[in-house]
Amino acid sequence: MRSFWPIFKRELFAFFVTPLAWVLIAVFLVVQGMHFFLLVDHFARSPDLSGDETPMSAFFGNTVLLYLVLFVLVPPMTMRLFAEERRSGTVESLMTAPVSSAAVVLAKYAAALTTYVAMWLPTGLYLVILQRTGALDWHTAASAYTGILLVGAGYLSLGLCASALTRSQFLAMVWTALILLVLFILGVGEFVTREGTTMHEVCGYVSVWAHMNDFASGIVDSRRLVFYGTLTVLPLFVATRAVDAWRWS
Amino acid sequence: MISVSHLTRRYGSQVAVDDVSFEIGKGEVVGFLGPNGAGKSTTLRVLAGFLAPTAGTVAIAGHDVVDDSFEARRCVGYMPESVPLYPEMRVIEYLRFRAELKRVPRARRALWIDDAMNKAGVVAVAHKRIGHLSKGYRQRVGLADAIVARPPIVILDEPTAGLDPNQIREARALVRELGREHTVLLSTHILSEVEACATRVLLIHQGKLLAQGPTEDIRAMRASTAIDVVVHGDADAAKAALEGVPGVATVAPTGVGDVVRLRVRFDKKLADAERASATEKCVATVVASGVGVREVRPVGGSLEEVFASLTGDEHATAGAS
Repeated sequence: MRSFWPIFKRELFAFFVTPLAWVLIAVFLVVQGMHFFLLVDHFARSPDLSGDETPMSAFFGNTVLLYLVLFVLVPPMTMRLFAEERRSGTVESLMTAPVSSAAVVLAKYAAALTTYVAMWLPTGLYLVILQRTGALDWHTAASAYTGILLVGAGYLSLGLCASALTRSQFLAMVWTALILLVLFILGVGEFVTREGTTMHEVCGYVSVWAHMNDFASGIVDSRRLVFYGTLTVLPLFVATRAVDAWRWS
Repeated sequence: MISVSHLTRRYGSQVAVDDVSFEIGKGEVVGFLGPNGAGKSTTLRVLAGFLAPTAGTVAIAGHDVVDDSFEARRCVGYMPESVPLYPEMRVIEYLRFRAELKRVPRARRALWIDDAMNKAGVVAVAHKRIGHLSKGYRQRVGLADAIVARPPIVILDEPTAGLDPNQIREARALVRELGREHTVLLSTHILSEVEACATRVLLIHQGKLLAQGPTEDIRAMRASTAIDVVVHGDADAAKAALEGVPGVATVAPTGVGDVVRLRVRFDKKLADAERASATEKCVATVVASGVGVREVRPVGGSLEEVFASLTGDEHATAGAS
């Protein structure tokens, strides 16, 4: 695992030295900023809204905008992780150094996750703004950000896995987007399937919509932790095996 | 230092390396010679730990490349073919990354990186982005990377591919220099390159190891089987005269005007001494026919001819010049 640090540092460097990262972050913050402005504006105009809904719970839950943003951001963030190294051949230098597959996978994943967290950090300012104008429940905020972190961790892991399984960045991006889309559509299925059926249960279990609603209203459900834990660990494991398998291909 | 025993590597159903065995001792500079697609790169990739063998065993400094891959990789500095590098990094940043990745102790890192940059001659471009470097410099950065962790074994895949003649000369000098401190294995498809750098040669063709031995033996194998005679005057008369000399197989004239080069090929079965006397007879005959001789020069056998003589494949000779 000693090779974790150098690879982690190089990945972060590679990400921030290209314009891609800055474009993604800029787009993300502009979209989120508008989203936040519209919500706050909406709540300010309707003082008679019930106390259950707050600008914060509406920002993180009950909104399709969050998934759209993740759907657009995650695939380009993860597509190059492995596919680019295999295309350009640098993977040959990387894997002939004394490194373990697990260290390579984890370092690249950690770099992507760090970037993701860095993207969300500026949105902490919204909480500061909200607190200035009214009461803010910091526990709910912590729960909402836990949700954001978990969803991101799972999605990035899926994206990394797709990148390890193909040589083409473009295919890695398309695959990641497809998987995320399927997950999202399954989640929507919760609303169209009849209650009591197995399909309804399954859809409810994987519905990122329902998950974020819970997290945004301060509920940290252990089922969600297990779901996103699995969604993170399993693709990372598959990616590690894929990296091992390159030697035998 | 390197011990390869019955190595076979397949890509799907295609056999790239077929039952190859060889040993390389400490301090040797060994040239791995073969035409493109012979299986050189595949073999080197197995040695460097990038590919696993389909069958057979490979040990690097006593460490098996499958069971003890990690330790085996620590003993090797490897420069892949076409030298893939991260274009967005500066040379010094890249070497720092590689040195840390290869576990050069922190206290020695700066010194060893300086040392590698000096040896590879990249100090002048240390702060340039790799993407902005010329092919020659990128090759040197690859070399610096291969030696930065001071590995006992250095493996270079086609270290002079794509370089201009000056750079090739420098690269060869560098490889000879490396041979003083490292065991070096380099691959090439150019015969003269091996003769210039290596003390021993492994000849590989279509995945099979054809021959191995000291460089002198290979040099002897390509002993000339032809001479060029440049004549001034009646070329047709000279050609007719040469064709009459016993032992001469073909005479091919090139050039126009009154100075013509005649390539005289001797019979392949001729022994060295017979060929020498046939050469003397050729010159005497041409002079006797009243044509002026400007130049007589032995023509070195090409790699294709060496391979043809080893495999008995006459077709390869036909296309060789």
